[in-house]
Formats: sequence, structure tokens, C-alpha cells
Amino acid sequence: MNDLLINFLRETSQTNHWFVLLPEIALALLAISMLGLDLFKKSPNAPSNPASRLNTRISIIGQIGIFIAISCFGSAFYEENRVLFGGLLEQSEKTQFMRCFFVFASISITLLSDRYLGKFKLPKAEYLHLSLLVCAGFMLLVQSAHFILFFVVLEMVTVAFYVLVAFQRTHLLSLEAGLKYLTLGALSSTILLFGIVLLYGIAGNPEMAGFVQDGFQFKELQQFISLHPENLIVRLGALLVISGICFKIGAVPFQIWVPDVYQGAPTPTTAYLATASKAAGIFILIQLLQGPFLALSAFLIPFLSVICAVTILYGNIAATGQTNIKRLIGLSGISHAGYLLLGVIAAISVPFAFDAVLFYLTVYMVSSILAFGTITYLGQVEESTIELRDFNGLLHRSPFLGSLGLISLGSLAGIPPLGGFIGKLLLFWVAYQAGLFFLLAVAIIGVVISIYYYFGWLRAIVLRPEGEELVEYPLDSSPLLLSERCFFISLLTLVVILGLFPGLLLNLI
Amino acid sequence: MTIGINEFIIASSLLFLIGFMGVLLRRNTLIIYMSLELMLNAVNLALVAFSRFNQAMDGAIFVFFIMTVAAAEVAVGLAIIVMLFRKKQTVSVDELNQLKG
Repeated sequence: MNDLLINFLRETSQTNHWFVLLPEIALALLAISMLGLDLFKKSPNAPSNPASRLNTRISIIGQIGIFIAISCFGSAFYEENRVLFGGLLEQSEKTQFMRCFFVFASISITLLSDRYLGKFKLPKAEYLHLSLLVCAGFMLLVQSAHFILFFVVLEMVTVAFYVLVAFQRTHLLSLEAGLKYLTLGALSSTILLFGIVLLYGIAGNPEMAGFVQDGFQFKELQQFISLHPENLIVRLGALLVISGICFKIGAVPFQIWVPDVYQGAPTPTTAYLATASKAAGIFILIQLLQGPFLALSAFLIPFLSVICAVTILYGNIAATGQTNIKRLIGLSGISHAGYLLLGVIAAISVPFAFDAVLFYLTVYMVSSILAFGTITYLGQVEESTIELRDFNGLLHRSPFLGSLGLISLGSLAGIPPLGGFIGKLLLFWVAYQAGLFFLLAVAIIGVVISIYYYFGWLRAIVLRPEGEELVEYPLDSSPLLLSERCFFISLLTLVVILGLFPGLLLNLI
Repeated sequence: MTIGINEFIIASSLLFLIGFMGVLLRRNTLIIYMSLELMLNAVNLALVAFSRFNQAMDGAIFVFFIMTVAAAEVAVGLAIIVMLFRKKQTVSVDELNQLKG
């Protein structure tokens, strides 16, 4: 018995290649050093003190180092077709791309949060600490191939997000958003967990034909489900898991939290939720549908198709009447989740659809960060209450911010030749190839509706209303730093270049 | 009569549903959190029952992870409730309606 145990332990530990997790470990260490640095500061929470940028600088330099390490020397942290950690992890070229994606998103959020936290005199170290941990969590989440790791990492990310959403803790809206996100987030996690447990219970049942040893492992689960695609408990479990993930991406009917949380949360957190959280949800949805739930696709596709169509229509129709900017971004984000679901459904039959989804996610991330950047730099007072009319004549008041807004919104709306247009075109093309004509028609109607509210916003930026005397929204008094300018200009060029030469990114994916 | 796997799963599903209805219907934030805990414990019960029935230990080990996660969730949740109570002197979700539109 003892020898058996020792052999078992030896075998599992032989697959523990800690080196492939070096980027995640480095991020976690960086996160801890954020808290450690704070101990040596003489005057805590002094935004005027230039040393208070120290945390941000170290965090950004560290993250850029990790980004370069993964993107240039990625093969060192990459072992394809090998069992890692006894089947807990599984890597592919797609997960390598997603690791770069999350570090990039995290760098952008760090830059935005530096400005935001300084503006509202909030402690920086804790925020940076949590956002780094969230990034590491996302990177592990896309690589997980085992439901225990999957759930624990998902909860690590979600609990950190509860804190990040309620971070402005003296402010009622932020706290209320935190409470709503926590209640509904915990509810969705529990539903997902119940699905996992049902799948585990039925897959390991010794009375079932072809039962498996480890009902949490994706590969073993896939074998079992392919034998019993008609089983009621298997279907119920898969449905519950998919519902839990649909909550994270904000698909109808699990979208109820999106506008409230997006409005109340600090702007950098909203940007993080809108980009990285949605990307992780979409990615694991594709991985589950192509992995364990592959045999169930005949049962799941009608279900997902209804969600996709309703999500696109709901997001766009609800956004047309909205004047609060952060709610508008939240509602239009719901419709973007709908377009992405179109790609997810197409990916079951068309392999290229996976690439199209990743391209769309990247362009959506860059454009959203530009849009949230504009909001962060726009005003000094409470950001949750910024209205559409506060953007009036922004191009004349600040040409730099105005053009940031123009390019990012143009890309989100899908105006050629910007990146967003190519992203939508690729998604629609794969949907056409997969034969999803009805959903394609719904998506095109959705795009037409979305042009209405995006153009309303663009018009506000370009035109200065005449006749009536409007109180102009005061711009943030502290000037843009050179590093911030460089960062935003490089993001702008990225959006334009991706529109003109989409092959550059598609080759990387 | 022996209690088999089915009785455990039925009991756990009932607990899960009671918790779910509690989250949807109750107005007091603390009771909503208690309902969430009830749902998590229903899942734990199902996991332990399945783990015993399937003769595999990993389900029982997963329970410890779930308990840890639940504790972390409640720690954050109670902190948010305390801050909200200081601002608004109430923990009822009916009074928390600043975000709408």
C-alpha cells in the first residue's frame, strides 16, 4: 500500500514542470512585492508625492518584462501534447496567445488605474496587487484542463474582482455595484459548481458503462460524454456549466448585472471586466464546447443560438436609449458578447472561427481600452455619472482625447478601415461558412442598430452644439504624461494597422 | 431501508433549490448570503455522496477547496455589507437602488 502511494506520488510529481508556469509565478511575486513596497513608504496615500508612482512603474516594467518573455521566448514556457501536473494543465498555441493577451490587458489597466487612483486619492498598492493576481488567474484559467483547477482559479479571479469593483469604498455607487456583482457572481459560480458535480457524479458512477477514474479531467470527461450524449444528468450538468459561463460573459438572460456593475465600478475595473473577463469566458466556452462537451453539440447548439440572437438584439436595443456613458458601454458590451457567441457556435464546425474570435477579442480589447482611457481622462468629478452630452465638442476642447474617442468608437462600431470592421467581417464570414444564416441576419440587424448609438456618440465628440449655452464638462487638470501619450498613440496605430493588415495578427494566432 | 445515492442527491437538490429561491426572493442581504452558503453546502453534500458512491477520493478533496472559496467570498461580502451599512444604515436590497436607468 505504502509503495503504491509512493509510486503514485512520484508519477504525478514527474509531470510537474514548474518552469512552464514561470510567467504566472512571476506575476504573483510581482503582486506580493506591490504590498511589500508599501511597507517602506513614509507617507501612505499621498498622491502628490511623486514616489507614489513607484508602485505603478515597477508593476509596469515587470509586466512588460513578462510580456516580452512570453511573446519572444514563449517556447520556454510551452510544452504541447504533454501531461502537465497530472492532467491539470493543457497548453496549446491558442493558450500561449491568450497569455500574451491577458498580460497586455493588465499593462493597460495598470496605466489607466494609476491616473484613476491618483485622481480619487485611493491606495494604489492594493489595487495593483489585486489586478496582477487577476491577470495570473486568467492565464491559468485558459490553460486549465481539470474542473478543480478551473473552479478554484475562476473563484480566485472572481473574488479579486469583487474587491476591485467595490474598491472606491467611500462611494455608494461603487459599493452597491460590488454588492450586486458579488451576489449574482456567487450565484452563478454555485450554479456552475452544481453542473460540475453532476458531471463528476455521473462520469464516475461504477454502474455506467465506460465510467472513468477522474470525472473532473476534461479528456476523461470527453470520453465518457461521447458514450452517453443522451443521458439526462450529463445534459443537465453541461447546461448548468454553460449557464455559469454565460453569466461571466454577460449573455442574456444572465446579463442583469452588467449595466449596474459597469456603471458603479471604478473605470479601470470596468475596462478589465469588459475586456479580459469577457475574453476568458469566451475562450473557456470554446474550449469546453470543443473538448468535453463535443458530443453534446447537437443538444447545445440550439440553446446557444437562442442565447446568441437574444443577446445581440437585447444589447443593441437597450443601448439606443441610454445616455449614461458607462451603462452605454456595458450594454453595447452585451451585444459584442453576442457577436462573439456567433463565432463560438461557428467554431464547432469551422476551425478557422477560433482565430476569428481571437482576432475580434484582441481588437475589441484595444478599442475598449482606448474608449475607457478617454473616459478616465475626461473628467475630474464622479465618473459614474458622465453623460453623453459631456462629450460635446471634445475634439475642439482636446484634440488628442477627441481623436482617441473617435478612433476607438469607430472601431467598436465597425467602420472601415479600422480593426473592428475586419473583426466583424471575419466573424460574419465564418458564420456564413458554418451555415448560420439566421444568426448572421440577426447580427447584421444588430450592427445596423448599433450604428445609431455609436454615431450619436461620435457626433457629440465632433460637433459643438450651437445656440444653447452648455456647461462644458471640466477636463482633468493634470496634463497627460509623455508615457501615457506614447501608450495611447501606439494603441491607436495598433487599431488602424490591424484594420489595414489583419494578416499580421492572424499569423500570430 | 438503506439510504442510497439517490436520497442524498434528492436532498442535495432540494437544499440547492431552497437556497436558490432564497437568493431570488429574500430582501435582506445577510439572508441572501446565508442562502448562497446553503447552495454551496448542498453542492458539498452531493460531492461527498458521489465521491463515496464512486469510490474515488477527489470529490471529497474538492469539498475543502469549495469551503475555502466560500470563506473568502463571505469575507469580502461582509466587508462590503459593513461599508454599505455605514453609508446607508440599511442592508435591504430594496433600499439599494442608486444604480438604474
